[in-house]
Amino acid sequence: MNPGPIVCATRGGEASRSTQEHAIALAKERGAALVFLYVADCEFAGSLKAPLLDAVRDELVRLGQSLLSVAQRRAARRGINAQPVVLCGRVRETIHDYLVQTHASTLVLGASGPPTRHRVFTPEEVLHFAESVAKGTGAEVHVVTPEGKVLTAKPTTEGPADGPTA
Amino acid sequence: MSSLISAEIIIVVLMLVATVVAIMIRRVRLPYTVSLVLVGLLIAAWRPVRAEVTPELILAIFVPPLVFEAAFRLDFRMLRSSLASIVFLAVPGVIVTAVLVGGVVALGAGLPVGPAVVFGALISATDPVAVVSLFRALGVPERLGVAVEGESLFNDGTAIVVFQIALLAAVSGEFRLVESVFRFLEVAIGGLAIGFALGWLVAQLMARIDDRLIETTLTALLAYGAYLAAERLQVSGVLAVVAAGMYSGNVGLRGASPTTRIMLFSLWEFLAFLSNSLVFLLIGLNVHISELVANARPIAVAVAAVLLSRAVVVYGLSWLADVASRGTRIPFQWRHILFWGGLRGAISLALALSLPLTLAARGTLQVMTFGVLLFTLLAQGTTIQFLIRALGITDRSEHQLEFERRVGQSFALQAGLRRLAQLREEGLLSEDMWSGLQSNFRAQKEQIMSEIGRLFRTHAELERDMLLQTRREILLAERAALEDALRRGLISEPTYDELRRDADYHLEAVRLIQEHERGAEES
Repeated sequence: MNPGPIVCATRGGEASRSTQEHAIALAKERGAALVFLYVADCEFAGSLKAPLLDAVRDELVRLGQSLLSVAQRRAARRGINAQPVVLCGRVRETIHDYLVQTHASTLVLGASGPPTRHRVFTPEEVLHFAESVAKGTGAEVHVVTPEGKVLTAKPTTEGPADGPTA
Repeated sequence: MSSLISAEIIIVVLMLVATVVAIMIRRVRLPYTVSLVLVGLLIAAWRPVRAEVTPELILAIFVPPLVFEAAFRLDFRMLRSSLASIVFLAVPGVIVTAVLVGGVVALGAGLPVGPAVVFGALISATDPVAVVSLFRALGVPERLGVAVEGESLFNDGTAIVVFQIALLAAVSGEFRLVESVFRFLEVAIGGLAIGFALGWLVAQLMARIDDRLIETTLTALLAYGAYLAAERLQVSGVLAVVAAGMYSGNVGLRGASPTTRIMLFSLWEFLAFLSNSLVFLLIGLNVHISELVANARPIAVAVAAVLLSRAVVVYGLSWLADVASRGTRIPFQWRHILFWGGLRGAISLALALSLPLTLAARGTLQVMTFGVLLFTLLAQGTTIQFLIRALGITDRSEHQLEFERRVGQSFALQAGLRRLAQLREEGLLSEDMWSGLQSNFRAQKEQIMSEIGRLFRTHAELERDMLLQTRREILLAERAALEDALRRGLISEPTYDELRRDADYHLEAVRLIQEHERGAEES
């Protein structure tokens, strides 16, 4: 039986390059399909009126397509035929739903620097999210730092997931 | 020697001094206007110069180009994103400042309440020119610059109106609240209406004329004409210039050719530079250090009152602005910059000089104004860069600056390569020279591209920033193409309006995403 796809969630942040490279290496090693996922989350622009909000969504989708196209070319150079997917919605829920829908085996995502007001995820939140995704979807979650260090959260059959391991 | 020739000699000498200062400070991280005041002070201390400054000279000659230039290049879309904060700071903010400063100065310096409130009003106009030039050098977010400049543009007008009302009350000895509120609205709205009407008229003329010299002259007529017409009708001349400048820069330019645009922006930049240079040099030349020392106590009280009121206005009124703003809000950290960046300048000086001789404590009010101006320029103006750095409110980190340098080098090399090809086509280069020079260029280009590649690998967010910047460039090119199509009659005005509006929404969307992504990367 083919393993489920590896989903690499990326938004072009500081850890995106190392995250994509890790995902490509993993797909090559396992012979699994690779999906680059970008979630266009307009929550930061939530209070804007319709024409501008539509333009923000449109531009985010366009940005996602461009970022994934670059990542797809990088994967192709390493012999991997990756599929780009751009979805709209709230980051956490959308990633979670997509993993369930595609029966993904692994989620690879990046951990960025210190927490800020604007960050989608603080490093602690990324780890917490990784644990909850591992538990809720059955997918293994790899969290990659900008320096290329990888933390793994593995799914468990019962009870809470194990904490991420380096 | 005739008085005209004497005045001309003074102006030429002042321009010479300003130019020397501008050249000398290129290597020093000191705001230009602050340097001018310092040089003016030094000249005045060494050999007092008789360069009389009248309020008419400042308000009618120097202020219109300063205000018009700032309004002309203020992007209305950007202004809209900070409008709530700007309105709160420029209207209730000015009134609160006038009352609070007046109260503190009356109590602390023992001045009569009426003249003290007059001082509060005249000192409430901010002049951020020194701060804004630093913003550009340090790479502070554009929206913060717009918030600071926007507040200044509008509070120049409102401060003058509040000053006139306070002065009338101080001189006559009576104050009617309802009447004053109506007068305030009449003068402010009247000024804005005249400015917009004249701005519209000039925009209509510019749309029908394609001549850069006539169009440029029209904007000069607009700046001074709006001021004079409004003052003649006893409404706010400064607000008229603000409205005229904003309309002209945002709507009037739609039909202008790229050549006219370049000429307009260059001319207004030059006029603003010249006006600023002369105003700040004159401030320095007109300060008498001995008078300041003799009035140290009231000046200290005035400085404390100005800082206190600025804190109350910037931090206290912020929540009201937040409630009113349905869109993007001014981040809390930016408010520290709004507080410490509230420098005072030309308008306060002009109003202080215009105080009538009959007003009680006139001399003290004037020396207090000079004291506050000097404090804000020399203490706040020279230290705000440290605050900006300490708060980390800059867009560019070291690796971003390095990236910018590499991109700049790449652009320059590409231009060099194009010129080289042109010289070859013109038969000025032999094949051997062409191949040698071309391979040299290509080697340099490859090295730069490899450096950019390295930066993309180590700082992946630069790649996303570059994609967003590229998208912005594309949208700007599309917008320029639409303007060209309209000028050439390929599309009608309604079609142009529809497509341009769409492009503007997308440009604004890209800006919001850029700002959001920068915020996400900043600590």
